[in-house]
Amino acid sequence: MKKDKKSSRKEFVLFRWLRRMFFGASKELTMADERYDSPSKLAVKRFFRRPLATGAVVVLLGMFLFVFIGSAISPADLTETGSEMLHTNMAPTQSLMKLPKQMKDGAVDISSRGTFTIGLDTEGQVYMWGYYFNVSGDEARNVMTIPEEVKNSKIAHVAAGSDHCVAISEDGHVYAWGEYDNGQYGLNGSMIASARKEPDELLEGTIDASAVKQLICGNQVTAILMEDGTIYAWGNDGLCATNLSSVIKHGKQDSKLVKLAFTNDGLYGIDENGAFVSGKSTKFNLVTVKDENGRSVSVDIYEYIGDRKIVDIAATGNAIALVADDGEIIVSGMKEPLPELREGEKAVSVSGGTRHFVLVTDQGRVYAWGQNYRKQCEVPNDFSEAGVVDKVFASGFQNYAFKDGKFVDNWGLKGYIMGTDDMGRDVFNRIMNGGKMTMTVGAVAVIVSTIIGIIVGCISGYFGGAVDMLLMRVTEIFGAIPFLPFALCLSAIFKSSNIRENTRIFIIMLILGVLSWTGLARLVRGQILAEREKEFVTAARAMGVKEKRIAFRHILPNIISVLLVTVTLDFAGCMLTESSLSYLGFGVQLPRPTWGNMLDGSRNALVIQSYWWRWLFPALFLSIVVICINIIGDTLRDVFDPKSEVEK
Amino acid sequence: MGKYILKRLGYMIVVLLILSFIMFLVYSIIPFDRAVAEAEQYKQSLKNNPRAGELYDAKIEELRRELGTDQNVVVRYLGWIGLAPINGEYKGILQGNLGYSYQYDRPARDVLAEPMRNTIFINIFATAFGLGITIPLGIFCAVHRGSRRDTAVQVGTIVGYSIPTFITAIVFIWLFAITLGWFPVSGMKTPGSNFTGFAKLKDELYYMALPLIVMTFSSLGGMTRYVRASMSEALSLDCIRTARAKGLVEKTVIYSHAFRNALIPIITLVIGWFTGIFSGSIVIENIFGLNGVGRIYILSLNNKDFEVVLLLQMFYVIIGLLGNLIIDIAYGIADPRVRVNK
Repeated sequence: MKKDKKSSRKEFVLFRWLRRMFFGASKELTMADERYDSPSKLAVKRFFRRPLATGAVVVLLGMFLFVFIGSAISPADLTETGSEMLHTNMAPTQSLMKLPKQMKDGAVDISSRGTFTIGLDTEGQVYMWGYYFNVSGDEARNVMTIPEEVKNSKIAHVAAGSDHCVAISEDGHVYAWGEYDNGQYGLNGSMIASARKEPDELLEGTIDASAVKQLICGNQVTAILMEDGTIYAWGNDGLCATNLSSVIKHGKQDSKLVKLAFTNDGLYGIDENGAFVSGKSTKFNLVTVKDENGRSVSVDIYEYIGDRKIVDIAATGNAIALVADDGEIIVSGMKEPLPELREGEKAVSVSGGTRHFVLVTDQGRVYAWGQNYRKQCEVPNDFSEAGVVDKVFASGFQNYAFKDGKFVDNWGLKGYIMGTDDMGRDVFNRIMNGGKMTMTVGAVAVIVSTIIGIIVGCISGYFGGAVDMLLMRVTEIFGAIPFLPFALCLSAIFKSSNIRENTRIFIIMLILGVLSWTGLARLVRGQILAEREKEFVTAARAMGVKEKRIAFRHILPNIISVLLVTVTLDFAGCMLTESSLSYLGFGVQLPRPTWGNMLDGSRNALVIQSYWWRWLFPALFLSIVVICINIIGDTLRDVFDPKSEVEK
Repeated sequence: MGKYILKRLGYMIVVLLILSFIMFLVYSIIPFDRAVAEAEQYKQSLKNNPRAGELYDAKIEELRRELGTDQNVVVRYLGWIGLAPINGEYKGILQGNLGYSYQYDRPARDVLAEPMRNTIFINIFATAFGLGITIPLGIFCAVHRGSRRDTAVQVGTIVGYSIPTFITAIVFIWLFAITLGWFPVSGMKTPGSNFTGFAKLKDELYYMALPLIVMTFSSLGGMTRYVRASMSEALSLDCIRTARAKGLVEKTVIYSHAFRNALIPIITLVIGWFTGIFSGSIVIENIFGLNGVGRIYILSLNNKDFEVVLLLQMFYVIIGLLGNLIIDIAYGIADPRVRVNK
């Protein structure tokens, strides 16, 4: 019993004050005085009687939960996988994986490299979904508008590049639309001389659509592979398929090709002998395998394949995967580990998205591997059962699974709720993590300034005389320091010296705290000067309570209501200062997000006009939080002030 | 009154000296040696000299002596002010040497002259606009305290002072410069133009309009609230009841009796706010690309041009202290009690 009492006495002083303030001093007292509300209880009641203030509390609590729980669930990815250069400056959308209803009954092909997807159903109808930001602003270059001829004719093959689409109709016409500056299709408007021209027979005449084996697009290149091994190719091969001519040459001179795949900068294929064709490119000549000791060693891919035949090939942006006829998957260019297949299970086909591969086995199971930052590899659980799926279209960052021509399920990237920034980072994720940083910096800065302010104010106010004189002069000198310029200067000094980012952030918190305590110190001093003349202090002194104890334990709790108001308003102030510092580039540094430095790029007209989501959301969140805190602070001041009640 | 002002002035100089020393201390802990940077060029010319290392070290020593960086902080500080000789001669602030901008390779005074003019120009306009709107608005709210219009203004002002300047600026650029196309997005004058006289002023005002609107808008919130608070305090004084009781016109009661009483807190604020505007314009000038002191400050920080930074820091300190001095004097004028007490 005695022990209990002792431990309860030791609890944190601040909590006791707060408890005493809002819930009364102790049980016995409240029992006796039940009919009379304490002033602080009255204040609480009055506070919650105001709808605006109550609303502000609710909104603020919601923001806190959102920021802290959200950032705990999905922390910011500051490495290179956090940014996706194919997804820079994407508007808020959720349509990237919205497979049209008509396609659910039967899909011939689904293709995507960038942000938009093209699909072809069994009726020969073309559908497009997803998002495309038309940089040129020229409606004729908008890849999302399907040309009338394509809409009106029966289409046999479709493929999508990073900014253009190609379709072949059943009567053999080749249609292309979208961006054409880099020779994506052979029409006029090609800006670079080195682009490979579309063959004239395709531009003017038709081809035998039934003899087309494969139509495939790279980023800005297109290739048509015919049954007889002929390859028609055109586009920006200088950048997007550097080994294009050597692969075509292989097809003409050595053996005809049966399947092609584009990476970001090359064309790869398999020929009729089941050999891997890479032309002049040596990029994927090595595979990493485990030797007998379990160590990773690199071996030549052709040696590793040996006598086996390659039955399928797929490519991501910078990796290729081959399926050998014994069911083994050979991957080159990707760090992420291969999935482990079940005993006796063999790979049948593999398809590649932009950053991941999807594999279907002979038992009808689906495995995905590669980058999973955008949930490309989160295969639905029921797909681990055998025979659920027989075909998976992995395209871009999305996957669509089919069984007997019927749509089963899809997974991958739906879109970004709040868009992406100039580095392709998810704005929503950065808002959660940036909010955590902004609030933490603000809170720590306020705690530092409050502690200094209370100590200086208490000592100065209670002891008076020479101590008071000295401390007040110090306060005045600190108060005369120009806040923003000085904070900028200090931050710049620590920026140029070589210290870790975490230490720097902590130093910023300290700088903000140390520069902003003067107002609070003056306030505390003034309040204490008023309080110390009251009777209870005289009584305490008469009882022989020590001076220090009177100042900090008897007087201080009496002014906590005033303190609370100031601290609340200071918190908002510190958050704003941190944001201003970060906005000017002297606070927390990129890529670590805060609400301030997320607005950093929004200084030019293009961003403000075209990429509104990049500044609107951080600005909105910061403003709402600060407004709520200020409303709460103002209402607290009103309800603690006995005069205000009398007047109203 | 004269004695009082003198006392405050003396006090201000002491504070200025202490603060300038603190600034100088901060400046001296920067891990950056001007002598090494200067000697870099000399090093290039020594490429083929066999005694290059030796000569280079000697040059650095010489430069350090010349710049005075081989002395301790106190001596350097005194030298900077002009109370101690650096390399044998007095050339500090008191002798009119405000420092040297290594970035622009010109004396700091020349670098800052034009931006200083622009900053003061903008800030005086912003103050005038701000006061012209906030004081009548605050009085209106205090007089109609509790009315629906007052509540609306109250909510508006909370929003106004909660939103940081840079967000206001972005929103206003989006609205007025991009969507409506009324004002230019940034800059100081029409590119390539060479106006003179009235046309020049007109062009300048056209470019400064949006920054001015943003500055005025972001100052509205806080000021209106303070004017309202002190005015409603003044309106609850006994003398106001007396004035009303003796049958004075309501206008006289408000503008003559109440407003005079409300003036003291407002004075503190107006001047405190005026000094605050100078730091605030750091953000504005950077967003709008105005050639002002704040922009030079950020540029100098980024380019490690620390003599200019130091000078500007002192400028901000002096603005702050002058503000305080003016507050004290204005107090004395507005409120006779202050003079008696001190």
